[in-house]
Amino acid sequence: MSNHEKQHQVLFVDDDPDFLQLVAELFGSLSQGTWQIHRAASADAALDLLKDHRVDLVVVDINMAVLDGVQFLKILSRRYPDLKKVTLTGFATEAKRTECLAHGAELFIEKPRVADGFKSIFVMLDELLNWAPKAGFQGMLRQVGLSDVIQMECLGRNSSVLEISNRQMRGRIYIEDGSILHAVVGEVTGEKAFQKILCMTGGAFQLAPFEKPSQRTIEGPWEFLLMEAARVRDEAGTPAAAENCGAETEAAAAEAAVAATPAVRLAETLICTGRGEPLHAWQCANPDARIALFKDVAQQAERLSQILPLGKFDRLELQLTDGRAIVQTRTDRRVFVRVNHDLAVA
Amino acid sequence: MNEALKQWLAAHAAAPGLLACGIRASEVLCACHSASEKCPADKMESILHQLAEAQPWLFNNRFAPNWSTWAFEQGQIRIVNRRDGLLLGLVAAVDTAAQSLDQLSEEFLALPLGG
Repeated sequence: MSNHEKQHQVLFVDDDPDFLQLVAELFGSLSQGTWQIHRAASADAALDLLKDHRVDLVVVDINMAVLDGVQFLKILSRRYPDLKKVTLTGFATEAKRTECLAHGAELFIEKPRVADGFKSIFVMLDELLNWAPKAGFQGMLRQVGLSDVIQMECLGRNSSVLEISNRQMRGRIYIEDGSILHAVVGEVTGEKAFQKILCMTGGAFQLAPFEKPSQRTIEGPWEFLLMEAARVRDEAGTPAAAENCGAETEAAAAEAAVAATPAVRLAETLICTGRGEPLHAWQCANPDARIALFKDVAQQAERLSQILPLGKFDRLELQLTDGRAIVQTRTDRRVFVRVNHDLAVA
Repeated sequence: MNEALKQWLAAHAAAPGLLACGIRASEVLCACHSASEKCPADKMESILHQLAEAQPWLFNNRFAPNWSTWAFEQGQIRIVNRRDGLLLGLVAAVDTAAQSLDQLSEEFLALPLGG
């Protein structure tokens, strides 16, 4: 293997030539030859370079003129989804951080003002370059919701074990051919464990190859499980409480909310694409009426947004005499779920 | 509008997490309170009128909800339907516990207003 093939290929994109010169010299020296550093003064130049060179990591300044770093990040994520991306900025804001992480940046770093800062950045970038996923994939829940991962696995009829952990707890969800079979967190199993795991608002997950669980504790359709988990999470309290769901007191609150959940029976489900094409229907006597309902709800939400801007609309929840219905109209999917309370259970 | 109803609304206007609340008795009769400049009383009134219009298509879908909650990224709007036609509207912060809104809703539904 040639020296070039062994070296990490790192591309810095910044419209400040002095900064590019500085990082090339400094990181070149700190890497002791393990990095080959490429430089581009604009997004265009970087895209040209990426056409002809293998690059392992791109470090982008987000405050570039013409095509700014965030737009460039979006293009990179579309064209090179596997490429590791890091953003650098002289003016860090929480909004920019969220935007960059949402568009595929692995790290969001503020430009250092002292030499020691550059050393720390070098260590972080080098760690990132040496990190490789094991079997399955790994990620941080800051970029993708846990329910989205579960949904992807179930819609794709995949088999896997989703391992989730944060500082307080570690849990596992077993999925076989798109059905959720079992969930466990500590000594809790089944739907309660599933709901407890879904209370987590941050942490790391790993999608491991499927292995048969010791028992099957979950039977219901995944759509219903996700909807119920969302409801229980809402009822467990504030995001702060949900964040610390594993802590003893908050976990007790979440468990109390789970325990207080009346026995429910799934009555109807319809899942459609964002454009309203049905993907999955169960006990849905009139899908056309439900599809029209999605449209009415989306239009009504739009009118409400014009009166009071409250951000993106997520769902309409209907509290019925004999149960509940949820109408979710997101851009990528539309979901209708109706459950009936089991009146036989006190 | 019934005086007891107005008093009940005023007493609950500062409930935790509530940005605004209002009651719609008819097309012209509304009583609204705002607890946050994010949702002034006139917006609350517009929301009540807007959501009153949504009731027929919910009924057309064979839904007669006791209440419905419109969940947005940065807040939620709850509309509670009494059988006598009165509507209660609540605009709450996104992290307001559903239980406290449910409690207010139940209370509104059970209010003895007489004739």
